[in-house]
Amino acid sequence: MEYKVSLGPQHPALHEAVSLRMTLDGEVIRDADLKLGYSHRGIEKLAEERSYIQNIYLTERICGICSHSHTTCFTQGVEQLMELVPARRGLFIRTLIAELERVHSHLLWLGVAGQEAGFESFFMYTWRDREVVLDILEWISGNRVHYAMNIFGGVRRDIDELQRKKILDSLDLLKKRTDYYLNLAASEPTFVGRLAGVGKLSREDAIALCAVGPTLRASGIASDVRKDDPYAVYGEIPFEVATADSCDVLGRAVVRVKELISSYAMIEFLLKNLPEGPFKVKAPRKVKPNEVYSRYEAPRGENVHYIKSNGSDKPERLKVRAPTLANYPATIAMLKKGFIADIPLIFAAIDPCICCAERLVQLDDARRGDSRVLSFSQLRSMANERAKKIDFKKRKIAWPF
Amino acid sequence: MAILKPILYILVYPGLLFLMVYSTFCEWFDRKLYARMQNRIGPLHTGRAGILQPVADIIKLFAKEDIVPEQADKRMFSALPVFALAIVCTAALYLPVWHYSTAPSFNSFPGDLIVVVYLLSLPTLIFFLAGWHSTNYFSAIGGVRVLTMLFGYEIPLLLALLSPAVLAGSWRLVEIAVFYQNHPLLMLANVIGFVIAVICLQAKLERVPFDIPHAETEIVGGQFTEYSGKKLAFFRLLGDIEMVVGAGLIAAVFLGGFPGGLLPGLAWFIVKTLFIIFLLAALRAATSRIRIDQMISFSWRWLAPLAVLQLFIAIIIKGSAS
Amino acid sequence: MSLRIAPFLPELLRSLFKKPVTVKYPFEKEAVPKDFRGTVVFDPAKCIGCNICVNDCPAEAIDIIRVSETEKKFKMILHNDRCIHCAQCVDSCPTKTYHMDLEYETAAFSRWDLKIEYK
Repeated sequence: MEYKVSLGPQHPALHEAVSLRMTLDGEVIRDADLKLGYSHRGIEKLAEERSYIQNIYLTERICGICSHSHTTCFTQGVEQLMELVPARRGLFIRTLIAELERVHSHLLWLGVAGQEAGFESFFMYTWRDREVVLDILEWISGNRVHYAMNIFGGVRRDIDELQRKKILDSLDLLKKRTDYYLNLAASEPTFVGRLAGVGKLSREDAIALCAVGPTLRASGIASDVRKDDPYAVYGEIPFEVATADSCDVLGRAVVRVKELISSYAMIEFLLKNLPEGPFKVKAPRKVKPNEVYSRYEAPRGENVHYIKSNGSDKPERLKVRAPTLANYPATIAMLKKGFIADIPLIFAAIDPCICCAERLVQLDDARRGDSRVLSFSQLRSMANERAKKIDFKKRKIAWPF
Repeated sequence: MAILKPILYILVYPGLLFLMVYSTFCEWFDRKLYARMQNRIGPLHTGRAGILQPVADIIKLFAKEDIVPEQADKRMFSALPVFALAIVCTAALYLPVWHYSTAPSFNSFPGDLIVVVYLLSLPTLIFFLAGWHSTNYFSAIGGVRVLTMLFGYEIPLLLALLSPAVLAGSWRLVEIAVFYQNHPLLMLANVIGFVIAVICLQAKLERVPFDIPHAETEIVGGQFTEYSGKKLAFFRLLGDIEMVVGAGLIAAVFLGGFPGGLLPGLAWFIVKTLFIIFLLAALRAATSRIRIDQMISFSWRWLAPLAVLQLFIAIIIKGSAS
Repeated sequence: MSLRIAPFLPELLRSLFKKPVTVKYPFEKEAVPKDFRGTVVFDPAKCIGCNICVNDCPAEAIDIIRVSETEKKFKMILHNDRCIHCAQCVDSCPTKTYHMDLEYETAAFSRWDLKIEYK
């Protein structure tokens, strides 16, 4: 007998509000659908009313885990609009922070995968060692989550000799622990049994559904913005794009661990080849009218910002496409072939960052293209009106069993 | 005087009072071990080293609002937790503590091993009913998973418990325990059975890797999703007591029981059950939750054949000894 | 890599006899790095009233108010409930009026308690 279950918007497996509508037949998933739009922050609209400098900190708050990704993406775009060449040392430090962020994000993901699979010890251990990276980031930037390191023309803080040595020392520990987790995750039978063969996404499907990031690379496609369209100093760093051919959740885990290992090598390279010189150059406040499309490889996949300037000190339009949004179609395709027990793992395997991807667009007439802006109180009264129409007393729901 | 002992037996030791106190202690011990294995501290503030934390949790649950779903069968929904708790407490009375000898006692009779196993499998049925009567999809899925798992672990558990009984030539817990106290080397013959019994007990207690019926990242709270307040407190207490009774049963059957009368018997009981709870905690920390299909195939591919092998070993040793 | 039985167990048992890594936070506090971004501190003597910080603050947490009509004297009101601790004011100020201290325990029962006035 088929029945419909909605996982979310409030569910222990989901850390943010999204609704997974599942049509189940016993333990087997027959159909899956995804409903978005539970959280909306109006960041794009807000960005139009802020100056470029204020917008750096606004874009940082699109995501808590890949905060540096969004600012770098935005900063790079605005630097192109300004026709500004950033300081070389600043670019190195920017890339260093980006790789440290990738390390902390992937270690976080490993823990989340353990937690979703019910492997709590793995979760506790990976998150314990993630503290090392967070401490490094705190030493460099003074903050643990929102590093606020980017400014137009470079970075805001320099790295001194002491910090450099501390980072290199901590890296040894991280490398050892990552090797241990790789061995552990690949040899613990209950964990491998949960990950292997789950959430298959073939190479063709991955391309057709426009998956990005580790989800795409785990299907055997070596696509990485850092390699395809190098930004910052990635063109100078030697590294391999990590891929896996197993096309399942285990493959995505392997890709992430491989990226961790290559990130450690990159961090070492960056620290050893850190050029002397200024770490930032002075930037103008106003920007000539133009538009730019900025790409960045966030830990979750390709992150895209579209920025349009109009000659003032505020952008005319900022469009953000977070990597999670690009992975949703692939997630639905993956979910359609699984068990209930696989839902949290498959969904977690894209490393969803739901709030980052949510945008609100209301079209009154799609053909004419009329749109209107709603304030928070208007949205609230709309929701209240809708809730009033539902008569909870008279509602009759037949219990199917 | 003759009536006093049964009353003490039921109310104080090993009956209700002892079970309530000791099961909360065992929960604390389990949580503390689990936390220390994960390099954490665990319960800390309530009482000395957090020893009163499980009690505090239960008191808190008793103070919480108690919600019954509108469409649920209200009588069944409310009665089930009490029934389940009563059944598990009854099972505890058959544990062979406080026996000076093999002399017949009011709660010891040939075949009480089977009665304890039977009483321990009844809560599983009650979990299913609780899930089914909650009128919630997650509860219903959880309830069905409870029953599906029962088919996986119940038969290996029974076979594993049977082989020491076959070797001892008795179905009475006291006699099995006394047999192994007299022949401690023969305990080694049951190592496979002991491992199987510990794994099956873990499945019966629905703990990682077998917490499939209430896997919180999949189906929220499973069969307990709609339960809250007092009723949930009953179920929690039930889980703790079931852990103590299960550990006590395995200790009585495989580890030679609790010899020496009242106080040494109590000491043996605590040492042996804590040892088994340590094994359960280590198993919980070292594994990830598995899927229901993997659980069933694991128990029929590995546990059941190994349990049969264990039974053969017991029969062969028995045959060669006589 | 091949599957093994309980590969995690040795590490778990070793942890049993190790000191837990948990820091019992309110009782023992870890030191923060010297570049930590704590609460904004303002030095009224240095302020020239250029209002760059007010314009650059992403959270609009700074108010600069002229105290006297005749003298160039300013006071600053920091809305610490809105402050996001980005330290942009420290970078933007041309006279180095701002710096950040190491204070991180700024919780209060009311957002109005978080308002700080520097005269």
